[in-house]
Amino acid sequence: MRIDYRIEHPVALSASFEVEGFTVLLGASGEGKSLLLRAIAGLLPARGEPFGGLPPQQRAVGYLPQGHALFPHLNAWQNVAFALRGADRRRQAVAWLERVGLAALAERRPAQLSGGQQQRVALARALARRPQLLLLDEPTSALDPATRDDVLAELIAEVHAAGIPALAASHDPALAAVADRLVVMHGRRIVQAGAPWEVHARPANGAVARLLGHRNVHGGRLVGEPGAQRLFWPEGNVALPVETGLPGDTAVDWHIAPEAIELHEAGGAAAGDADGVVVAATEVRQAGAHGSYLGLRCGQARLWARSPPWSLDMAGTIRLRLPPTAIRCWPRD
Amino acid sequence: MRPRLTTFAAALALLLLAAPFAGLAIATDWRHLGFARGDGDAVAVSLGLSLVALALIVALGTPLAWWLARHRVRGQWLVDALLLLALLTPPLAMGLLLATMYGPYGPAGQWLERAGLLLTNSAPAFVIAQFYAALPYYVLAARAAFEGVPRELEQIALTLGHSPARSFFRVSLPLARLGLAAAVALAWVRALGEFGVVLIVAYYPQGIPVKLWTNLQDTGLSAVYPLLWVFFLVALPLPLALGLAVRRRLA
Repeated sequence: MRIDYRIEHPVALSASFEVEGFTVLLGASGEGKSLLLRAIAGLLPARGEPFGGLPPQQRAVGYLPQGHALFPHLNAWQNVAFALRGADRRRQAVAWLERVGLAALAERRPAQLSGGQQQRVALARALARRPQLLLLDEPTSALDPATRDDVLAELIAEVHAAGIPALAASHDPALAAVADRLVVMHGRRIVQAGAPWEVHARPANGAVARLLGHRNVHGGRLVGEPGAQRLFWPEGNVALPVETGLPGDTAVDWHIAPEAIELHEAGGAAAGDADGVVVAATEVRQAGAHGSYLGLRCGQARLWARSPPWSLDMAGTIRLRLPPTAIRCWPRD
Repeated sequence: MRPRLTTFAAALALLLLAAPFAGLAIATDWRHLGFARGDGDAVAVSLGLSLVALALIVALGTPLAWWLARHRVRGQWLVDALLLLALLTPPLAMGLLLATMYGPYGPAGQWLERAGLLLTNSAPAFVIAQFYAALPYYVLAARAAFEGVPRELEQIALTLGHSPARSFFRVSLPLARLGLAAAVALAWVRALGEFGVVLIVAYYPQGIPVKLWTNLQDTGLSAVYPLLWVFFLVALPLPLALGLAVRRRLA
Protein backbone atom coordinates (compact mmCIF):
# COMPACT_ATOMS: atom_id res chain seq x y z
CA MET A 1 0.00 0.00 0.00
CA ARG A 2 1.32 3.39 -1.02
CA ILE A 3 1.34 6.10 1.69
CA ASP A 4 1.55 9.69 0.50
CA TYR A 5 0.85 12.34 3.13
CA ARG A 6 1.55 16.01 3.71
CA ILE A 7 1.11 17.70 7.11
CA GLU A 8 1.32 21.45 7.67
CA HIS A 9 0.56 21.67 11.39
CA PRO A 10 1.92 21.44 14.07
CA VAL A 11 5.07 20.77 12.00
CA ALA A 12 5.53 20.70 8.24
CA LEU A 13 6.12 17.16 7.11
CA SER A 14 5.67 15.18 3.93
CA ALA A 15 6.21 11.49 3.41
CA SER A 16 5.73 9.12 0.53
CA PHE A 17 6.61 5.45 0.73
CA GLU A 18 5.40 1.89 0.27
CA VAL A 19 4.04 -0.29 3.11
CA GLU A 20 4.48 -4.06 2.62
CA GLY A 21 3.88 -6.63 5.34
CA PHE A 22 5.28 -5.37 8.64
CA THR A 23 6.90 -2.05 7.74
CA VAL A 24 8.84 -0.07 10.32
CA LEU A 25 9.08 3.70 10.05
CA LEU A 26 12.36 4.33 11.84
CA GLY A 27 13.25 7.79 13.11
CA ALA A 28 14.47 9.68 16.15
CA SER A 29 12.03 11.13 18.68
CA GLY A 30 10.52 14.39 17.48
CA GLU A 31 10.71 13.54 13.76
CA GLY A 32 6.93 13.53 13.52
CA LYS A 33 6.42 9.77 13.06
CA SER A 34 3.51 9.74 15.51
CA LEU A 35 2.01 12.77 13.77
CA LEU A 36 2.15 10.92 10.47
CA LEU A 37 0.33 7.90 11.94
CA ARG A 38 -2.31 10.17 13.50
CA ALA A 39 -2.71 11.95 10.16
CA ILE A 40 -3.27 8.63 8.35
CA ALA A 41 -5.84 7.69 11.03
CA GLY A 42 -7.60 11.01 10.35
CA LEU A 43 -6.96 12.45 13.81
CA LEU A 44 -4.86 15.34 12.50
CA PRO A 45 -5.62 17.70 9.62
CA ALA A 46 -3.56 16.57 6.65
CA ARG A 47 -3.77 15.89 2.94
CA GLY A 48 -2.89 12.63 1.28
CA GLU A 49 -3.73 9.12 0.24
CA PRO A 50 -5.06 6.63 1.24
CA PHE A 51 -8.27 7.72 3.03
CA GLY A 52 -7.70 11.39 2.09
CA GLY A 53 -10.50 13.68 3.28
CA LEU A 54 -12.47 11.03 5.19
CA PRO A 55 -13.39 11.49 8.86
CA PRO A 56 -11.59 9.04 11.20
CA GLN A 57 -14.65 6.83 11.74
CA GLN A 58 -14.81 6.08 8.01
CA ARG A 59 -11.13 5.18 7.60
CA ALA A 60 -10.44 1.47 7.57
CA VAL A 61 -7.37 1.69 9.81
CA GLY A 62 -6.52 -0.12 13.01
CA TYR A 63 -4.65 2.40 15.13
CA LEU A 64 -2.64 1.25 18.15
CA PRO A 65 -1.27 4.30 19.96
CA GLN A 66 1.61 4.22 22.38
CA GLY A 67 0.32 2.84 25.68
CA HIS A 68 -2.41 0.93 23.78
CA ALA A 69 -5.33 3.16 24.94
CA LEU A 70 -7.63 0.38 26.12
CA PHE A 71 -10.90 1.61 27.60
CA PRO A 72 -10.39 1.34 31.37
CA HIS A 73 -14.12 0.99 32.08
CA LEU A 74 -14.46 -2.08 29.88
CA ASN A 75 -12.94 -5.53 30.26
CA ALA A 76 -10.86 -7.25 27.56
CA TRP A 77 -13.72 -8.71 25.48
CA GLN A 78 -15.79 -5.53 25.79
CA ASN A 79 -12.80 -3.55 24.51
CA VAL A 80 -12.62 -5.80 21.46
CA ALA A 81 -16.41 -5.78 21.04
CA PHE A 82 -16.28 -1.98 20.94
CA ALA A 83 -15.19 -2.31 17.30
CA LEU A 84 -18.03 -4.73 16.50
CA ARG A 85 -21.75 -4.34 15.82
CA GLY A 86 -24.67 -6.66 16.18
CA ALA A 87 -26.00 -9.25 18.62
CA ASP A 88 -23.10 -11.61 18.04
CA ARG A 89 -20.52 -9.12 19.32
CA ARG A 90 -19.48 -11.02 22.40
CA ARG A 91 -18.81 -14.32 20.63
CA GLN A 92 -16.84 -12.56 17.88
CA ALA A 93 -14.84 -10.55 20.42
CA VAL A 94 -13.86 -13.68 22.31
CA ALA A 95 -12.90 -15.31 19.00
CA TRP A 96 -10.57 -12.37 18.25
CA LEU A 97 -9.07 -12.66 21.74
CA GLU A 98 -8.54 -16.37 21.09
CA ARG A 99 -6.57 -15.49 17.99
CA VAL A 100 -4.13 -13.46 20.06
CA GLY A 101 -4.06 -16.16 22.75
CA LEU A 102 -5.96 -14.23 25.41
CA ALA A 103 -9.42 -15.85 25.51
CA ALA A 104 -8.76 -16.93 29.11
CA LEU A 105 -8.37 -13.30 30.17
CA ALA A 106 -11.53 -12.02 28.45
CA GLU A 107 -13.11 -10.87 31.70
CA ARG A 108 -10.05 -8.97 32.96
CA ARG A 109 -9.92 -5.19 33.12
CA PRO A 110 -6.97 -3.53 31.28
CA ALA A 111 -5.34 -2.61 34.61
CA GLN A 112 -5.09 -6.31 35.43
CA LEU A 113 -3.16 -7.14 32.24
CA SER A 114 0.57 -6.89 31.55
CA GLY A 115 1.94 -4.49 28.93
CA GLY A 116 2.28 -7.27 26.35
CA GLN A 117 -1.24 -8.57 27.05
CA GLN A 118 -2.69 -5.07 26.76
CA GLN A 119 -0.96 -4.72 23.42
CA ARG A 120 -2.52 -7.96 22.17
CA VAL A 121 -5.99 -6.86 23.33
CA ALA A 122 -5.45 -3.56 21.49
CA LEU A 123 -4.32 -5.54 18.43
CA ALA A 124 -7.40 -7.78 18.61
CA ARG A 125 -9.61 -4.68 18.91
CA ALA A 126 -7.90 -3.03 15.93
CA LEU A 127 -8.17 -6.23 13.84
CA ALA A 128 -11.85 -6.67 14.78
CA ARG A 129 -12.53 -3.41 12.97
CA ARG A 130 -11.35 -5.24 9.79
CA PRO A 131 -8.86 -2.54 8.73
CA GLN A 132 -7.01 -2.27 5.45
CA LEU A 133 -3.96 -0.89 7.26
CA LEU A 134 -2.62 -1.29 10.81
CA LEU A 135 -0.85 1.66 12.43
CA LEU A 136 1.33 0.96 15.46
CA ASP A 137 2.94 3.78 17.42
CA GLU A 138 6.13 2.74 19.25
CA PRO A 139 4.92 -0.83 19.80
CA THR A 140 8.04 -1.79 21.77
CA SER A 141 8.05 1.12 24.22
CA ALA A 142 5.92 -0.49 26.93
CA LEU A 143 7.42 -3.97 26.72
CA ASP A 144 9.50 -5.71 29.33
CA PRO A 145 13.07 -6.13 27.94
CA ALA A 146 13.24 -9.77 29.06
CA THR A 147 10.21 -10.88 27.03
CA ARG A 148 10.31 -8.21 24.34
CA ASP A 149 11.74 -10.30 21.51
CA ASP A 150 9.10 -12.99 22.00
CA VAL A 151 6.24 -10.47 22.28
CA LEU A 152 7.49 -8.82 19.10
CA ALA A 153 7.77 -12.13 17.28
CA GLU A 154 4.17 -12.93 18.23
CA LEU A 155 2.98 -9.49 17.19
CA ILE A 156 4.61 -9.84 13.80
CA ALA A 157 3.33 -13.39 13.36
CA GLU A 158 -0.21 -12.16 14.10
CA VAL A 159 0.13 -9.26 11.68
CA HIS A 160 1.32 -11.70 9.00
CA ALA A 161 -1.53 -14.11 9.81
CA ALA A 162 -4.06 -11.28 9.48
CA GLY A 163 -2.64 -10.48 6.03
CA ILE A 164 -2.99 -6.74 6.58
CA PRO A 165 -0.15 -4.30 5.86
CA ALA A 166 1.13 -2.74 9.07
CA LEU A 167 3.09 0.46 9.61
CA ALA A 168 4.94 0.72 12.93
CA ALA A 169 6.57 3.99 13.93
CA SER A 170 9.60 3.42 16.16
CA HIS A 171 13.03 4.60 17.19
CA ASP A 172 13.94 1.08 18.31
CA PRO A 173 16.67 -0.63 16.21
CA ALA A 174 15.48 -4.00 17.58
CA LEU A 175 12.09 -3.48 15.93
CA ALA A 176 13.74 -2.27 12.73
CA ALA A 177 15.74 -5.50 12.67
CA VAL A 178 12.62 -7.69 12.43
CA ALA A 179 10.71 -5.61 9.87
CA ASP A 180 9.74 -6.85 6.40
CA ARG A 181 10.49 -3.40 5.11
CA LEU A 182 12.29 -0.46 6.63
CA VAL A 183 11.55 3.22 5.98
CA VAL A 184 13.94 5.67 7.62
CA MET A 185 12.95 9.21 8.46
CA HIS A 186 15.44 11.96 9.22
CA GLY A 187 15.08 15.74 9.08
CA ARG A 188 11.29 15.40 8.61
CA ARG A 189 11.62 13.44 5.37
CA ILE A 190 12.11 9.88 4.20
CA VAL A 191 15.83 9.34 3.58
CA GLN A 192 15.94 5.61 2.86
CA ALA A 193 13.59 2.69 2.29
CA GLY A 194 14.12 -0.98 1.57
CA ALA A 195 14.53 -4.44 3.06
CA PRO A 196 16.23 -4.29 6.48
CA TRP A 197 19.28 -6.23 5.29
CA GLU A 198 19.74 -3.79 2.40
CA VAL A 199 19.45 -0.75 4.64
CA HIS A 200 21.75 -2.30 7.25
CA ALA A 201 24.34 -3.15 4.57
CA ARG A 202 24.26 0.31 3.01
CA PRO A 203 22.92 3.03 5.30
CA ALA A 204 22.30 6.14 3.20
CA ASN A 205 24.10 8.39 5.67
CA GLY A 206 25.51 8.63 9.17
CA ALA A 207 22.12 9.53 10.68
CA VAL A 208 20.58 6.35 9.26
CA ALA A 209 23.52 4.31 10.61
CA ARG A 210 22.97 5.80 14.07
CA LEU A 211 19.23 5.07 13.93
CA LEU A 212 19.95 1.47 12.97
CA GLY A 213 21.94 1.18 16.19
CA HIS A 214 25.36 1.07 14.60
CA ARG A 215 28.08 2.04 17.06
CA ASN A 216 31.12 4.14 16.20
CA VAL A 217 29.41 6.72 14.00
CA HIS A 218 31.33 10.01 14.27
CA GLY A 219 31.83 13.27 12.45
CA GLY A 220 35.05 14.23 10.64
CA ARG A 221 36.61 15.88 7.62
CA LEU A 222 38.45 14.40 4.66
CA VAL A 223 41.84 15.90 3.91
CA GLY A 224 43.61 15.31 0.59
CA GLU A 225 42.37 13.77 -2.64
CA PRO A 226 41.54 10.06 -3.15
CA GLY A 227 44.69 7.97 -3.18
CA ALA A 228 46.45 9.76 -0.34
CA GLN A 229 43.48 10.72 1.74
CA ARG A 230 43.20 11.08 5.49
CA LEU A 231 40.19 11.43 7.74
CA PHE A 232 40.63 14.07 10.41
CA TRP A 233 38.58 13.14 13.48
CA PRO A 234 38.41 16.27 15.67
CA GLU A 235 36.93 14.58 18.77
CA GLY A 236 39.62 11.91 18.78
CA ASN A 237 42.23 14.45 17.63
CA VAL A 238 43.76 12.06 15.09
CA ALA A 239 44.05 11.80 11.31
CA LEU A 240 43.35 8.30 9.99
CA PRO A 241 44.25 7.01 6.52
CA VAL A 242 41.11 6.20 4.55
CA GLU A 243 40.14 5.05 1.08
CA THR A 244 37.10 6.86 -0.29
CA GLY A 245 35.92 8.18 -3.60
CA LEU A 246 35.01 11.51 -2.10
CA PRO A 247 36.85 14.74 -2.91
CA GLY A 248 39.12 16.40 -0.34
CA ASP A 249 37.91 18.88 2.25
CA THR A 250 34.53 17.17 2.60
CA ALA A 251 32.68 17.13 5.93
CA VAL A 252 31.68 13.52 6.56
CA ASP A 253 30.08 11.12 8.99
CA TRP A 254 32.18 7.99 9.27
CA HIS A 255 31.72 4.56 10.76
CA ILE A 256 33.76 1.54 11.61
CA ALA A 257 32.31 -1.76 12.83
CA PRO A 258 33.51 -2.70 16.35
CA GLU A 259 34.62 -6.06 14.95
CA ALA A 260 36.93 -4.35 12.43
CA ILE A 261 39.00 -2.48 15.02
CA GLU A 262 42.31 -4.20 15.73
CA LEU A 263 43.53 -4.04 19.33
CA HIS A 264 47.19 -4.23 20.39
CA GLU A 265 48.55 -4.43 23.88
CA ALA A 266 50.17 -1.19 24.92
CA GLY A 267 53.67 -2.63 25.16
CA GLY A 268 53.51 -4.60 21.90
CA ALA A 269 55.44 -3.35 18.88
CA ALA A 270 53.06 -4.78 16.29
CA ALA A 271 52.03 -2.10 13.83
CA GLY A 272 53.41 0.29 16.35
CA ASP A 273 54.29 3.08 14.01
CA ALA A 274 51.78 2.24 11.34
CA ASP A 275 49.29 4.76 10.14
CA GLY A 276 45.85 4.81 11.72
CA VAL A 277 46.92 3.83 15.20
CA VAL A 278 45.02 5.45 18.03
CA VAL A 279 45.96 5.32 21.69
CA ALA A 280 42.89 4.89 23.89
CA ALA A 281 42.04 4.36 27.53
CA THR A 282 39.81 1.42 28.36
CA GLU A 283 36.68 2.88 29.91
CA VAL A 284 34.06 0.17 30.23
CA ARG A 285 33.74 -3.52 29.49
CA GLN A 286 30.39 -4.71 28.23
CA ALA A 287 29.70 -8.45 28.46
CA GLY A 288 26.31 -9.26 26.97
CA ALA A 289 24.41 -12.14 25.45
CA HIS A 290 25.74 -11.20 22.00
CA GLY A 291 29.45 -10.89 22.82
CA SER A 292 31.87 -8.77 24.79
CA TYR A 293 32.81 -5.24 23.86
CA LEU A 294 35.11 -2.56 25.17
CA GLY A 295 34.27 1.11 25.43
CA LEU A 296 37.48 2.98 24.64
CA ARG A 297 38.01 6.64 25.39
CA CYS A 298 39.74 8.45 22.49
CA GLY A 299 40.06 12.16 23.24
CA GLN A 300 36.54 13.43 23.75
CA ALA A 301 34.78 10.53 22.04
CA ARG A 302 34.36 6.81 22.54
CA LEU A 303 35.01 3.89 20.21
CA TRP A 304 33.55 0.45 20.76
CA ALA A 305 35.62 -2.59 19.86
CA ARG A 306 35.16 -6.33 20.30
CA SER A 307 36.90 -7.47 23.48
CA PRO A 308 40.30 -9.10 22.77
CA PRO A 309 40.98 -12.67 23.90
CA TRP A 310 43.79 -11.64 26.25
CA SER A 311 43.22 -10.25 29.73
CA LEU A 312 43.18 -6.48 29.96
CA ASP A 313 44.57 -4.02 32.39
CA MET A 314 41.42 -1.90 32.69
CA ALA A 315 43.37 1.06 34.09
CA GLY A 316 45.89 1.13 31.26
CA THR A 317 45.94 2.30 27.68
CA ILE A 318 45.53 0.27 24.55
CA ARG A 319 46.51 0.81 20.92
CA LEU A 320 43.91 0.54 18.20
CA ARG A 321 44.34 0.23 14.48
CA LEU A 322 41.46 1.27 12.28
CA PRO A 323 42.02 -0.45 8.90
CA PRO A 324 41.47 2.12 6.12
CA THR A 325 39.23 -0.22 4.11
CA ALA A 326 36.92 -0.77 7.12
CA ILE A 327 36.11 2.92 7.51
CA ARG A 328 33.00 4.03 5.67
CA CYS A 329 32.43 7.73 5.00
CA TRP A 330 29.24 9.58 4.02
CA PRO A 331 29.31 13.22 3.00
CA ARG A 332 27.23 15.35 5.38
CA ASP A 333 24.17 17.13 4.02
CA MET B 1 4.26 22.60 64.21
CA ARG B 2 4.86 19.78 66.68
CA PRO B 3 2.88 16.58 66.06
CA ARG B 4 0.90 16.84 69.32
CA LEU B 5 -0.14 20.40 68.58
CA THR B 6 -1.25 19.35 65.07
CA THR B 7 -3.34 16.52 66.47
CA PHE B 8 -4.95 18.85 68.98
CA ALA B 9 -5.75 21.46 66.32
CA ALA B 10 -7.19 18.82 63.98
CA ALA B 11 -9.37 17.36 66.76
CA LEU B 12 -10.62 20.83 67.67
CA ALA B 13 -11.53 21.55 64.05
CA LEU B 14 -13.48 18.28 63.83
CA LEU B 15 -15.24 19.01 67.11
CA LEU B 16 -16.25 22.46 65.89
CA LEU B 17 -17.54 20.94 62.64
CA ALA B 18 -19.64 18.40 64.54
CA ALA B 19 -20.98 20.80 67.17
CA PRO B 20 -23.91 22.36 65.20
CA PHE B 21 -25.23 18.96 64.14
CA ALA B 22 -24.99 17.62 67.67
CA GLY B 23 -26.77 20.79 68.77
CA LEU B 24 -29.66 20.12 66.42
CA ALA B 25 -29.99 16.53 67.68
CA ILE B 26 -30.01 17.75 71.29
CA ALA B 27 -32.32 20.74 70.76
CA THR B 28 -34.98 18.81 68.85
CA ASP B 29 -37.98 18.00 71.07
CA TRP B 30 -38.50 14.45 69.81
CA ARG B 31 -41.71 13.81 71.80
CA HIS B 32 -43.58 16.77 70.46
CA LEU B 33 -42.21 16.84 66.93
CA GLY B 34 -44.89 18.58 64.89
CA PHE B 35 -44.76 20.40 61.59
CA ALA B 36 -45.85 24.00 61.21
CA ARG B 37 -48.68 24.81 58.85
CA GLY B 38 -47.52 24.76 55.25
CA ASP B 39 -44.30 22.78 55.91
CA GLY B 40 -45.56 19.93 53.74
CA ASP B 41 -46.27 22.27 50.85
CA ALA B 42 -42.78 23.75 51.20
CA VAL B 43 -41.22 20.29 50.91
CA ALA B 44 -43.30 19.53 47.83
CA VAL B 45 -42.40 22.88 46.22
CA SER B 46 -38.70 22.48 46.96
CA LEU B 47 -38.45 18.90 45.70
CA GLY B 48 -40.62 19.35 42.63
CA LEU B 49 -39.20 22.63 41.39
CA SER B 50 -35.57 21.73 42.27
CA LEU B 51 -35.93 18.66 40.07
CA VAL B 52 -37.12 20.86 37.19
CA ALA B 53 -34.23 23.27 37.77
CA LEU B 54 -31.78 20.35 37.95
CA ALA B 55 -33.07 18.95 34.67
CA LEU B 56 -32.59 22.34 33.01
CA ILE B 57 -29.12 22.72 34.50
CA VAL B 58 -28.01 19.28 33.26
CA ALA B 59 -29.59 19.76 29.83
CA LEU B 60 -27.95 23.14 29.18
CA GLY B 61 -24.86 22.88 31.40
CA THR B 62 -23.52 19.54 30.12
CA PRO B 63 -22.97 20.67 26.50
CA LEU B 64 -21.34 23.87 27.76
CA ALA B 65 -19.06 21.95 30.15
CA TRP B 66 -18.13 19.56 27.33
CA TRP B 67 -17.37 22.40 24.95
CA LEU B 68 -15.26 24.18 27.57
CA ALA B 69 -13.32 21.00 28.32
CA ARG B 70 -12.56 20.22 24.67
CA HIS B 71 -12.05 23.56 22.91
CA ARG B 72 -9.63 26.40 23.22
CA VAL B 73 -10.70 29.58 21.46
CA ARG B 74 -9.46 33.15 21.37
CA GLY B 75 -11.02 35.10 24.20
CA GLN B 76 -11.48 31.94 26.27
CA TRP B 77 -10.64 33.95 29.37
CA LEU B 78 -13.85 35.94 28.84
CA VAL B 79 -15.92 32.74 29.08
CA ASP B 80 -13.97 31.61 32.14
CA ALA B 81 -14.40 35.05 33.71
CA LEU B 82 -18.16 34.99 33.07
CA LEU B 83 -18.50 31.59 34.76
CA LEU B 84 -16.47 32.73 37.75
CA LEU B 85 -18.44 35.97 37.94
CA ALA B 86 -21.71 34.03 38.11
CA LEU B 87 -20.17 31.73 40.70
CA LEU B 88 -18.76 34.50 42.87
CA THR B 89 -21.70 36.90 42.76
CA PRO B 90 -23.32 36.86 46.24
CA PRO B 91 -26.81 35.25 46.14
CA LEU B 92 -28.56 38.42 47.25
CA ALA B 93 -26.87 40.39 44.47
CA MET B 94 -27.75 37.70 41.95
CA GLY B 95 -31.38 37.91 43.09
CA LEU B 96 -31.37 41.65 42.54
CA LEU B 97 -29.82 41.21 39.08
CA LEU B 98 -32.50 38.67 38.16
CA ALA B 99 -35.23 41.02 39.41
CA THR B 100 -33.71 43.75 37.27
CA MET B 101 -33.64 41.61 34.13
CA TYR B 102 -36.68 39.33 34.52
CA GLY B 103 -38.80 41.44 36.92
CA PRO B 104 -42.06 43.06 35.78
CA TYR B 105 -40.22 46.21 34.68
CA GLY B 106 -37.11 44.47 33.38
CA PRO B 107 -36.34 44.28 29.64
CA ALA B 108 -36.72 40.49 29.46
CA GLY B 109 -39.48 40.44 32.08
CA GLN B 110 -41.81 42.76 30.16
CA TRP B 111 -41.35 40.81 26.99
CA LEU B 112 -41.87 37.43 28.71
CA GLU B 113 -44.91 38.67 30.60
CA ARG B 114 -46.54 39.58 27.29
CA ALA B 115 -45.82 36.00 26.22
CA GLY B 116 -47.62 34.80 29.37
CA LEU B 117 -44.57 33.87 31.46
CA LEU B 118 -44.53 35.71 34.77
CA LEU B 119 -41.05 35.58 36.31
CA THR B 120 -41.84 37.05 39.73
CA ASN B 121 -43.32 35.11 42.63
CA SER B 122 -44.23 32.17 40.42
CA ALA B 123 -43.08 28.60 39.92
CA PRO B 124 -41.01 29.58 36.81
CA ALA B 125 -39.41 32.39 38.85
CA PHE B 126 -38.48 29.86 41.56
CA VAL B 127 -36.91 27.57 38.93
CA ILE B 128 -35.03 30.48 37.30
CA ALA B 129 -33.62 31.52 40.70
CA GLN B 130 -32.36 28.00 41.41
CA PHE B 131 -31.04 27.65 37.86
CA TYR B 132 -28.87 30.76 38.22
CA ALA B 133 -27.72 29.78 41.70
CA ALA B 134 -26.55 26.29 40.75
CA LEU B 135 -25.57 26.39 37.05
CA PRO B 136 -22.02 27.77 37.49
CA TYR B 137 -21.19 25.11 40.10
CA TYR B 138 -22.46 22.37 37.81
CA VAL B 139 -20.62 23.65 34.73
CA LEU B 140 -17.27 24.01 36.51
CA ALA B 141 -17.52 20.58 38.16
CA ALA B 142 -18.68 18.90 34.93
CA ARG B 143 -15.91 20.57 32.94
CA ALA B 144 -13.34 19.16 35.37
CA ALA B 145 -14.95 15.73 34.99
CA PHE B 146 -14.73 15.86 31.17
CA GLU B 147 -11.17 17.19 31.29
CA GLY B 148 -10.23 14.05 33.20
CA VAL B 149 -11.22 11.85 30.22
CA PRO B 150 -8.14 11.15 28.06
CA ARG B 151 -8.76 12.60 24.64
CA GLU B 152 -6.91 9.69 23.10
CA LEU B 153 -9.66 7.28 24.20
CA GLU B 154 -12.31 9.36 22.43
CA GLN B 155 -10.13 9.40 19.30
CA ILE B 156 -9.62 5.64 19.48
CA ALA B 157 -13.40 5.27 19.56
CA LEU B 158 -13.53 7.26 16.30
CA THR B 159 -10.88 5.09 14.65
CA LEU B 160 -12.94 2.03 15.67
CA GLY B 161 -15.75 3.32 13.48
CA HIS B 162 -17.93 5.21 15.96
CA SER B 163 -19.37 8.65 15.28
CA PRO B 164 -18.38 11.53 17.59
CA ALA B 165 -21.82 11.30 19.24
CA ARG B 166 -21.48 7.57 19.95
CA SER B 167 -17.94 8.14 21.18
CA PHE B 168 -19.31 10.75 23.60
CA PHE B 169 -22.03 8.48 24.97
CA ARG B 170 -19.97 5.28 25.10
CA VAL B 171 -16.57 6.63 26.19
CA SER B 172 -16.60 10.21 27.49
CA LEU B 173 -19.80 9.93 29.52
CA PRO B 174 -19.01 6.59 31.23
CA LEU B 175 -15.46 7.69 32.04
CA ALA B 176 -16.63 11.03 33.43
CA ARG B 177 -19.61 9.51 35.26
CA LEU B 178 -18.30 9.85 38.80
CA GLY B 179 -17.29 13.48 38.34
CA LEU B 180 -20.58 14.23 36.56
CA ALA B 181 -22.56 12.60 39.36
CA ALA B 182 -20.67 14.75 41.85
CA ALA B 183 -21.50 17.81 39.72
CA VAL B 184 -25.21 16.85 39.71
CA ALA B 185 -25.13 16.35 43.49
CA LEU B 186 -23.45 19.71 43.97
CA ALA B 187 -26.05 21.41 41.76
CA TRP B 188 -28.84 19.65 43.67
CA VAL B 189 -27.61 20.93 47.03
CA ARG B 190 -27.02 24.41 45.66
CA ALA B 191 -30.49 24.57 44.09
CA LEU B 192 -32.37 23.06 47.02
CA GLY B 193 -30.59 25.17 49.60
CA GLU B 194 -30.69 28.46 47.71
CA PHE B 195 -32.13 31.22 49.86
CA GLY B 196 -30.83 34.62 48.76
CA VAL B 197 -31.72 34.51 45.07
CA VAL B 198 -35.07 32.81 45.75
CA LEU B 199 -35.97 35.32 48.49
CA ILE B 200 -35.77 38.22 46.02
CA VAL B 201 -37.49 36.83 42.92
CA ALA B 202 -39.74 34.07 44.32
CA TYR B 203 -40.82 34.64 47.93
CA TYR B 204 -43.81 32.64 46.79
CA PRO B 205 -44.18 29.74 46.19
CA GLN B 206 -42.31 29.02 49.40
CA GLY B 207 -39.71 26.26 49.32
CA ILE B 208 -37.95 24.82 52.36
CA PRO B 209 -35.34 27.61 52.88
CA VAL B 210 -37.82 30.50 52.74
CA LYS B 211 -40.34 28.53 54.86
CA LEU B 212 -37.61 27.94 57.48
CA TRP B 213 -37.04 31.68 57.49
CA THR B 214 -40.73 32.54 57.93
CA ASN B 215 -41.16 29.86 60.64
CA LEU B 216 -38.23 31.42 62.47
CA GLN B 217 -39.71 34.90 62.11
CA ASP B 218 -43.27 33.92 63.04
CA THR B 219 -42.72 31.40 65.85
CA GLY B 220 -39.05 31.05 66.77
CA LEU B 221 -36.27 28.47 66.62
CA SER B 222 -38.32 25.56 67.96
CA ALA B 223 -40.58 25.77 64.91
CA VAL B 224 -37.79 25.16 62.41
CA TYR B 225 -36.42 21.83 63.70
CA PRO B 226 -38.91 19.43 62.07
CA LEU B 227 -38.54 21.04 58.66
CA LEU B 228 -34.77 21.26 59.14
CA TRP B 229 -34.63 17.49 59.65
CA VAL B 230 -36.62 16.95 56.45
CA PHE B 231 -34.28 19.31 54.65
CA PHE B 232 -31.24 17.28 55.71
CA LEU B 233 -32.94 14.03 54.80
CA VAL B 234 -33.89 15.06 51.26
CA ALA B 235 -30.91 17.25 50.39
CA LEU B 236 -27.92 15.39 51.70
CA PRO B 237 -27.94 11.58 51.25
CA LEU B 238 -27.19 11.63 47.50
CA PRO B 239 -24.35 14.20 47.62
CA LEU B 240 -22.94 12.63 50.77
CA ALA B 241 -22.80 9.16 49.19
CA LEU B 242 -21.22 10.55 46.00
CA GLY B 243 -18.70 12.62 47.93
CA LEU B 244 -17.62 9.53 49.85
CA ALA B 245 -17.47 7.48 46.63
CA VAL B 246 -15.20 10.07 45.01
CA ARG B 247 -12.93 10.06 48.08
CA ARG B 248 -12.74 6.26 47.96
CA ARG B 249 -11.90 6.33 44.25
CA LEU B 250 -9.12 8.83 44.88
CA ALA B 251 -7.74 6.70 47.74
